[in-house]
Amino acid sequence: MNKQRSKDYRKQIDQALATPKLQDALHKFGDAFLVSREKAFGGLDFEQLRGRIAEMKTGVREHHGELMEQFIANAEAAGAIVYQARDAADANRYIADLARRKKATLGVKSKSMVSEEIHLNKALEKAGTRALETDLGEWIVQLAGQRPSHMVMPAIHMFKEEVAELFSKETGRQEPAEIEHLVEVARRQLRESYFQAEIGITGANVAIAETGGIALVTNEGNARLASTLPKVHVALIGIEKLVPTLEDAARVVQILPKNATGQLLTSYVTWIRGAVPCGDEEKELHFVLLDNGRSSLAESTQCRDALNCIRCGACANVCPVYQTVGGHVFGHIYIGAIGIILTAFYHGLDNAAELVKACIGCRSCVSVCPANIDLEEIILHLRETVGDEEGIGAGKALVFRKVMQNRKLFHTMIKAASMLQKPVTRGERTIRHLPLFFSPLTEWRTLPAIADTALRDAFKAKAQQVEKPRYRVALFGGCANDFLYPELGLDLIEVMNALDVEVFYPQEQNCCGIPAIYSGEKETAVELAKQNIDAMLAGHPDYVLTTCPTCAMALKHNFVEHLKDNPAWAKKAEKLSSITVDAASFVLNQLDGAGIFADLAEKEKITYHDSCHLKRGVGVWQEPRRLIKESGHDLVEMDHADRCCGFGGSYSLTSHPDISRKILADKVHDIEASGATCVAMDCPGCMMQIRGGLEKAEVPVRAQHTIELLAAALRNKPTEK
Amino acid sequence: MMNQSLIELFSEKAVAVGAEVISCTSIAEAATFVAGKVDGPLLVPTFPSGCRSGLETVLRDAGLDVLNAFSSETAGRADGGLTGTNFAIADTGSLVLESTAEDIRLATTLPPKQFALLDPAKIVADGLAAVDPMRRLHQRDARNYIAYITGPSRTADIERVLTIGVHGPKELFILLVPGFSSDFLEM
Repeated sequence: MNKQRSKDYRKQIDQALATPKLQDALHKFGDAFLVSREKAFGGLDFEQLRGRIAEMKTGVREHHGELMEQFIANAEAAGAIVYQARDAADANRYIADLARRKKATLGVKSKSMVSEEIHLNKALEKAGTRALETDLGEWIVQLAGQRPSHMVMPAIHMFKEEVAELFSKETGRQEPAEIEHLVEVARRQLRESYFQAEIGITGANVAIAETGGIALVTNEGNARLASTLPKVHVALIGIEKLVPTLEDAARVVQILPKNATGQLLTSYVTWIRGAVPCGDEEKELHFVLLDNGRSSLAESTQCRDALNCIRCGACANVCPVYQTVGGHVFGHIYIGAIGIILTAFYHGLDNAAELVKACIGCRSCVSVCPANIDLEEIILHLRETVGDEEGIGAGKALVFRKVMQNRKLFHTMIKAASMLQKPVTRGERTIRHLPLFFSPLTEWRTLPAIADTALRDAFKAKAQQVEKPRYRVALFGGCANDFLYPELGLDLIEVMNALDVEVFYPQEQNCCGIPAIYSGEKETAVELAKQNIDAMLAGHPDYVLTTCPTCAMALKHNFVEHLKDNPAWAKKAEKLSSITVDAASFVLNQLDGAGIFADLAEKEKITYHDSCHLKRGVGVWQEPRRLIKESGHDLVEMDHADRCCGFGGSYSLTSHPDISRKILADKVHDIEASGATCVAMDCPGCMMQIRGGLEKAEVPVRAQHTIELLAAALRNKPTEK
Repeated sequence: MMNQSLIELFSEKAVAVGAEVISCTSIAEAATFVAGKVDGPLLVPTFPSGCRSGLETVLRDAGLDVLNAFSSETAGRADGGLTGTNFAIADTGSLVLESTAEDIRLATTLPPKQFALLDPAKIVADGLAAVDPMRRLHQRDARNYIAYITGPSRTADIERVLTIGVHGPKELFILLVPGFSSDFLEM
């Protein structure tokens, strides 16, 4: 681990957290984005559209060589000059040489993230050419001497007063901080430059093999001017922008603005092929095709889906971490989830290492990605790579390798800890204050105490009354259910018994391994997968139930992934995956059991919090809501029901408690505003976080697991006889 | 989709993004409308349907100061630019302008007011339906500069507030003139 780097990064986080105005703006933006995005996709099937993009882009990657040849041949036939640049330095040298040859004093640029990626402006300045950004947001950021904090909206972190100040310096007049006026200032101030510039520089949103042309997707009209007025046009193109045909280009153009800004289409889509007329001559058109790490990314089987990205920026818009700290902190040049991955390949793992750890793993980015990239999965892989390269820290490594992999030792230590905590819990179930350097952890949320009797022990004493069980199911407790909330497991037994299902608890089960994965410790995760597969399959259960969606994701998905190339384990992992179900879905889908709870509950106003891994990991969100409603409760939706609560396992405890705290505060606010007296959820991790947050904020709302509510409803059942 | 419903959808979407759509029965009626909007020179580059219909004369008769030969410098001083339209896309309210000739680009990028004559018979349903005429344009010409234009120039770069007319036209007027041109490949 690079301690100085981590320390510096924490400093940046602290600064961002001390800027509530920015957070407020990004939260509002995130809300507005979702509304306009949904409207833009009205009547269209997003899943189908993004499936097609993913399929097309994957095909491009597989046939990249031949498609690139076709693109280049067609571009050259139309009079374009094509240069293939290996890396940033190569591209910069080519463009700077060109500027020198043209004796260019001024280059006008329209927005290009690739030019940010390679720091083209600096290279041009060195060649004596001033590079002027003409996109409004880029110009603002350039005047401020900053870098974009968002890929689509570069100056989203700035406010009109700051813009007015920058513009006033530029015009030498006092410009009022009125947005319409400031936009007009930009128009006037920049207009002349298109005429003066010897070179116009643009990016490209697609490069079309069929035609040898590019398309630019823009709103302001500056790209049209920059590609029309100067004699030379340089288009800087990342080689992943390649698409085979005009239909493919049309599909990218269809989905990109809708997913980027919620527009049906941007004001301008500009299709350029070849050297078109310019004054009395022909335009000199250069296509600079940039690799700069893209080929290595294509080689990485775990990460290469990132090349399918069409740069809409949506992964940042919906990200709770981005909304909390902004793109300057949660990004390098490229920002947000995709930014983390691209940074690792284009700017080096060192620049990505802190970002990789700042992802909370809520998968909200995955749900909106128009190229269907499993960003979280790739980020986790990178975390593992960082862990391999730099180590995950001696303390963590010891815990994972020496303790967790040895179940008996792990569980003995937890039990010992439950004894040691007595002085701070004073016999209560929650820890309100931790002493010494642990104290920041309980400043903003209480923590649950480790239970005196773990579920695995309490289980044996719980009598089950099922005469002729429909099913025998094994409960995968998971650490939180087992050691923090054993009563939840006991409630599950009651619910299952009432539905004629017998539950058993395989004693050999261990941690699901997700905490290890999230810490970049894959070796431990694989070992735990094996232990758990053996443990859970040993008793030949009909199903394996979970009360924790993170565990469900591990059993259903991660174990299979870890062991797919291991012939001794792959089949067993798949078997376990196929019989694993979260408890709420099991009640509804396998048992059709909603009826037995009908109107038994003491009616209460309940709001539901979607746990990230249940909704976006396992795809379950309707089932618990239906059960809550059918049992007689009044279900009210809170705002942002499916936004992360900020838990993220060790994220909230060790990696980034300060970000976690802010995300939790947002959640507590939404819960309180719903007017409910109870918030239901299906994840003990969320329960720990939300219960702790509500308690500390003294908000009189209970946090309960859906299974607990169902068990409570059953207890209202009039006894027979 | 029937052409009438395509026209309605196109108009609805174009208006939604800030364009004005005006139904005209003739070129003369369109010219009168333009004359009421423009204060200063009007750039009118040469394009086939315009030549065929004697557009320039009609515009001059309406009292407009028509510039049909211009450079980038003179173009910068005009108040409006007027062109035909190759075809339009209904579901996004977009115009497709084959703008390889530089005059077309100057007339549609520099002046604050943009006017486009569109024969309502030339509207396709969506971006994918636009591919066929796009491909034919690419097959016909070796080099292309084709613009999809959807509303006036816009930005939301300051505090995400939508603001019209940052670098390109501040106003877009779409003049629907039936029988003006039925060929998707010609402007």
